[in-house]
Amino acid sequence: MNGSGRLVGTAVPRREDERLLAGRGRFVADLSAGAHCVVFLRSSQAHALIDDIDVRAAARMPGVLGVFTGADLGLERAAIGTLHDPHPAFVAATDFSMAEQRLPVLPVDRVQYVGQPVVAVVAVDRYAAEDALEAVEVSYTPLVPLVDPVEALRPGAPPIHPHLPDNEAATISIQVGDASVADIAVTVEGTYRIGRHGAVPLEGRGVLARADAQRVSIWTSTQIPHLVRRGICEATGWSTDEVRVVVPDVGGGFGTKANVYAEEIVVAALARITGTDLVWIEDRQEHLVSSAQGRDQTHRTRLSVDADGRILLWEDDFVIDIGAGCLWVAGVVANTGIHLLGPYRIPNARIRGRAAFTNKTIVAQYRGAGRPEACFALERSLDDAARRLGLTPEEIRRRNLLSAPDLPYALPLPYRDGVAISYDGGDYLACLDAVLEMLPRDGLEMLRARHPELVVGHGLGCYIEATGRGPFETARVRLTGSGRFEVASGAASAGQAHETVFAQVAADTLDVGLERILFRAADTDLVEHGVGTFASRSAVLAGSAVRRAAEELCRRGRDRAAKLLGVPECEVELGDGAFAARSGAVGSSVTWGELATACAPGGVQEDYGPLDVTEIYRPRTVTWTMGVHAAVVGVHRRTGAVSVLRYAVAHEGGVEINPQVVEGQIVGGVAQGIGGALLEEFRYTNDGQPLSTTFADYLLPGSCEVPEVLVRHLPVDTPGNPLGVRGAGESGAIAVGAALAGAVDDALGGRAHVTSTPIAPSVLRAALLAARCA
Amino acid sequence: MKPPRFDYRRAGSVADVLEELDSDPSGETKVLAGGQSLVTLMNLRLARPSRLVDIGGLDELARRFDDVDQVVLGSTLRHRLLETDPLIRRRLPLVAAAARHIGHVGIRNMGTLGGALAHADPAAELPMAMVALGADVYVESASRGRRRIPAERFFVSLFTTALQPDEIITWVGVPALGPLQGWGFVEYAPRHGDYAVAGAGCVLTLDVDGRIAGVRAALLAAADRPLLVGDPDDVMGELPDAGLWSRIGRHWAGRADPIGAEPEYVRALCGDALTEALGAAHRRAESSRSSRESA
Repeated sequence: MNGSGRLVGTAVPRREDERLLAGRGRFVADLSAGAHCVVFLRSSQAHALIDDIDVRAAARMPGVLGVFTGADLGLERAAIGTLHDPHPAFVAATDFSMAEQRLPVLPVDRVQYVGQPVVAVVAVDRYAAEDALEAVEVSYTPLVPLVDPVEALRPGAPPIHPHLPDNEAATISIQVGDASVADIAVTVEGTYRIGRHGAVPLEGRGVLARADAQRVSIWTSTQIPHLVRRGICEATGWSTDEVRVVVPDVGGGFGTKANVYAEEIVVAALARITGTDLVWIEDRQEHLVSSAQGRDQTHRTRLSVDADGRILLWEDDFVIDIGAGCLWVAGVVANTGIHLLGPYRIPNARIRGRAAFTNKTIVAQYRGAGRPEACFALERSLDDAARRLGLTPEEIRRRNLLSAPDLPYALPLPYRDGVAISYDGGDYLACLDAVLEMLPRDGLEMLRARHPELVVGHGLGCYIEATGRGPFETARVRLTGSGRFEVASGAASAGQAHETVFAQVAADTLDVGLERILFRAADTDLVEHGVGTFASRSAVLAGSAVRRAAEELCRRGRDRAAKLLGVPECEVELGDGAFAARSGAVGSSVTWGELATACAPGGVQEDYGPLDVTEIYRPRTVTWTMGVHAAVVGVHRRTGAVSVLRYAVAHEGGVEINPQVVEGQIVGGVAQGIGGALLEEFRYTNDGQPLSTTFADYLLPGSCEVPEVLVRHLPVDTPGNPLGVRGAGESGAIAVGAALAGAVDDALGGRAHVTSTPIAPSVLRAALLAARCA
Repeated sequence: MKPPRFDYRRAGSVADVLEELDSDPSGETKVLAGGQSLVTLMNLRLARPSRLVDIGGLDELARRFDDVDQVVLGSTLRHRLLETDPLIRRRLPLVAAAARHIGHVGIRNMGTLGGALAHADPAAELPMAMVALGADVYVESASRGRRRIPAERFFVSLFTTALQPDEIITWVGVPALGPLQGWGFVEYAPRHGDYAVAGAGCVLTLDVDGRIAGVRAALLAAADRPLLVGDPDDVMGELPDAGLWSRIGRHWAGRADPIGAEPEYVRALCGDALTEALGAAHRRAESSRSSRESA
């Protein structure tokens, strides 16, 4: 089958599903046969000095091959540093500051959260290793644990990282317009809190390492293989030639795996020391205390509107609890600050934010990474202002949303990449209209009749999302000896269907059928430089890089075909998967397979070498996605428990490479949003002991909790990249908390205003009772 | 999440397991049946038995007998059978309803009646149902033979029962639903299959005139054990109206002393669950009475 530019835009079935749905996926644990087992002794203390680590008894246990502290590995001074610095222009414009984080690999002097790895045990299997863990003795001197970020920032609070005395990880300040505003009709103040929850992917983390005389190869469940390689090299002092990072099938990442973890460094180092294949597979209990978490923000807000509900001034002072550290703190803080400006006309804004260290588990850029929190604060404030003015939630949004005449819309502020922000959208109001058409507010009567035990309400949430952040991504397209094409990129798939969508892009560009494309999973041997999959960036960056590389391959192929055909290059056209001379006789053409033969040893173009192109794509700046969520919920009259009855999303995106994959991203995001809004929370005692350590306490949404999600895509091309695509990976998760909270408010007839997530049934029950008494 | 080393033996008969327990004076030997709670606790290293005797395959205890006014249930009957067996659904509908609320199907395929009772989780469904129904738990040991313990005395406190280390539960005698009787079971959980936040079960008996002739009710997650609540004298002889059940539900749930983070909320939900359960029991008893009248 030959291509004709028609694969992009079609819902080609996901090629990886043939493997994954049949149970033939190969995840890191599936590759580990024959490897010895690594397990980690993790800190039982939230904040303590390590006085002594005695591993002698553990080392003598049956089946134990070795027990290692950070000092034994020579990693006691090694650290993991932050992964992102904003552009100086952004730093200057937002008064941005960031502490120098140096997160320990295996600490020898102090621990900063329960779950932090301290000692590594190598044993013949996990049973023997866990037995040995119980024999390791660590003596601690407890320090005051800090679990409240505001307390942690207070002068005189004990420092969590001794070189950072004020526990301040980052600050930001954004000013738009003027703070002295006339004609204010209503000012609403609020304190909005988004609880700590996280990705909790189906597959936890895991690392397999194998050393040979030259280097260490690791297979790790990550979204960012090249940054993991860099992290390993920085901690160990090895050169990048000494480390190969391969990404097997990955069962979900969502930002939690867009991180460099101590375990990845330690298992690699241990493989070199022991000379044996080693594997560490995170179990669920470890995951719930040691994999990076997310959210955990508190916003103190003030929104002033005029008598018509038009926004005059928006003020927010937010605090982010990043636990013991966050390699992406700049991203989370900047995302929160920038996205607080929303998809609205906001003439004046004063935003201030701080990120604090506490003695909780580390934090990553969990799906949305600041955007859901910003959205919750702004959307809740709008709902509150609407109620005070007697407007509907729909009406106040209608009066403030940016629409076609406003767009593109410039903000007096650079993005993190230093480029002035300009929303490159089409008509945000159209998303509101579309979502209300799918899920109108009237028409709830049938649901009320069907569910007499519930009070029913309708809510809205609008979001904006910067997608496709740089700095760059790499792709490689290579003509194989059999005339097919190997495609690889630096962006690792954690379930985003790269195998399908990048093959669609390559096949269209190369003018061949999908079956001719062999997509290779991320491997630093295939692509020397890469960034990774996160921040709704892979379709935009890796997709564009694949396009560029395939175009370049076509150019070179045409050049070689011209020589074979004996005509000038400008005479040669690619069509039906073959190069033909425009004026040539019928049948005078060169197929990709013939080109492959020509440049193989013994071929007439042997001297030209293989057709193998690696391209880097570097976007000018981000491209913006916007959308509106609508939800209908029922609040149980007795328990106060919230059920999501109906859900719809209308979003303005770019070209859809594969509409089904985009829809899947939106629906999956909504499911995770429902979890965070209603069920999921990493809770801690005042001493910093984690309480959500099993799935009996950390409740995930299941098929019964997530209704069918209606999705409508409103396409608006963007000239920002060669494919015209916009990112969609996080969109589904961003506005769920806001929409559900609005629907709960509505269900309770305005007698309650939800200010925090997860939404507490006990609070709603109390509000329902009060309403009944009133 | 791997358990420490332990010995494992599959019991061949009830006599076999009793002998096994009798020969271990240390009390270190634990009985394994469906493994849905014990194995989890072992993986978390919260339970560390040195020896397991597996009775899950004892078919002699996987039987039930229909008697005149009771059904006798074997202790290795799986939750899924309690939920789906036509005889149990007809004669012990409260047990079937309780079983349906346990975890998910996979769990119910493995978990056993005896295991749930011996584990004595105060939030569990079957212990509460047995207390509400006034069931008798039969336990046996090699040295002392069989004992009969009423369910409300069997459950002592958090994960603690009247079972001695050398005893196992063999049978449970459960009173069958009689004429003029109705039952109710209501549970509130964050998601289906979760540990309940609150729940109630009850059996209500009417006289031929529709007046209350007897009631038994119990709560789950309301204390350190399944809690028998209510004084039948509060309602005896009453002709129930709409307001009675919410009044009685709230009153009887006042005894609840929940353990968790929000005791007031849970106590209130206990009252609501009880109100709903009593109302449902009354509707069913009333329907039984009217079908008798019309017969």
